[in-house]
Amino acid sequence: MILLDTRELDHPIPLEMAVDAFKKLTGDEVIHMIHRREPIPLFEIILKNGGHYNSVMERDDLWHIYITRSPEVKLEHIHV
Amino acid sequence: MYNGLSLDQAPPISVVMRFFLMVPLFGIALSLLVFLNPEAVLTPNHPISLTAIHLMFLGIISMSMLGALFQMQSVLGGRPIQEPLGNAFIIHIFFVIGILSLAEAFITPLPELFVIASVFLGASVLYTANLILPLLFGSITNDTLRGMRIALVSLSVTAILGVIMASEYANESFSTFHEVIRISHYSLGLIGWVAILIIAVAFQVVEMFYVTTPYSLWCKRNAFRVIVGSLFFKIIWLFLSLPFVWIFDLMIGALLFGFIATTLKRLHQRKRRVRDVSIWFWNAGIALLSIATISYAIFIGSANESLQTMALISFAFFALAIILAMMGKIVPFLVWFHLNSAGYMDVPIMSNIIPLHRVKWLFWLFALTLVMALGGIFFIPLFAVSAILGGLMFSLLLFNLVQALRMYRYVRIHGKRLIQG
Repeated sequence: MILLDTRELDHPIPLEMAVDAFKKLTGDEVIHMIHRREPIPLFEIILKNGGHYNSVMERDDLWHIYITRSPEVKLEHIHV
Repeated sequence: MYNGLSLDQAPPISVVMRFFLMVPLFGIALSLLVFLNPEAVLTPNHPISLTAIHLMFLGIISMSMLGALFQMQSVLGGRPIQEPLGNAFIIHIFFVIGILSLAEAFITPLPELFVIASVFLGASVLYTANLILPLLFGSITNDTLRGMRIALVSLSVTAILGVIMASEYANESFSTFHEVIRISHYSLGLIGWVAILIIAVAFQVVEMFYVTTPYSLWCKRNAFRVIVGSLFFKIIWLFLSLPFVWIFDLMIGALLFGFIATTLKRLHQRKRRVRDVSIWFWNAGIALLSIATISYAIFIGSANESLQTMALISFAFFALAIILAMMGKIVPFLVWFHLNSAGYMDVPIMSNIIPLHRVKWLFWLFALTLVMALGGIFFIPLFAVSAILGGLMFSLLLFNLVQALRMYRYVRIHGKRLIQG
């Protein structure tokens, strides 16, 4: 699990970090992004590039986003 | 999983950029007009002054705000605009023809130009409202969307009042309501359209871009109510020739000061103090809104026309400052986002798309243009100097936009980013 805690970072740094990490993903690796908002543009980039994600809201200002390239990984079962 | 939003909703990059690219071109045209006629531009109700005002508020401010609306509606509204390429093309072309016709209409003896301007500007604004407004009434709602709705309705009414006035100019026959319509037209345009849209956008982006505390719910809920109520009653008071209309201006002024105070507080309590020129533009914009509000309040009491001119110029620069701050964020994001969405692996990072030194230059040119323009109210040659500096500022803005698009095209053609030598 690759942890990206971007809660304190100005837009658009969290998006760039997440996309960079996503491009480097291999195998069954999963990114766990923690962010203060739901990063909607990121989802479009992930889906269009063959990945999938699960976005879980803990509070209005606290989101957990799980990202992987592997179709085998069931992200719905992961929540740290 | 996805907050009710549909994927694949961002419009193609050309939809937004076609509006943004016109902004510096109209800016250069305005600079030329001011340089050649500084005294006439500063004379209230002079035809050249009216041309300059409409180049500023339609060609620069509204042009960029319409482009931003296409992008923001898609992201915030949750429902994509149908046929964005074709619709943006029609609206853009009609808007440009309308602005050029109106700008010419004031300064040439051809009344037909007012008719052409009315048709094209009226059609483009009402078509935009008809296209975007229904999409803002979806399952998702927030205060930014509410503000966008009010702003679009205000723009539509502003356009209708503008068409009525244009028909008066075309016929050279002015009704007894001409002055009332004129005041309603600019009140709705400046406050109902420009100020409300900027406040609505601020509610969304200040917190998101700069990691600040969110605006209070009370502030978000009541800001638009106060402005809409004040504008509504101001127009009723005007048409009924009732006394004390200025009370509604003061209420709007008080609300704007509340927005100024709460925004400044947030910008200065940022969690991370990273170097970001867009913050400079926001601070400048907020300072200019303060100057505009104070100048107008004193003008109400004193009827000093210089103060009214100062209020109008400060307000225009306030809007321009926020637009430049937003463009500096939106354009690199759009280039980066569309290239990543298309699957390119070697994409320029956002901070390299418009390099920091060029954004700083843009800010200092903006600041110098502003100082000279405000000084020009009291010493006219400075106004001509501001035109030269403004021309340079808009030329740099054009260069920044073209370079960003060049980077985008390079990656689309070569599959990798352009390495700057």
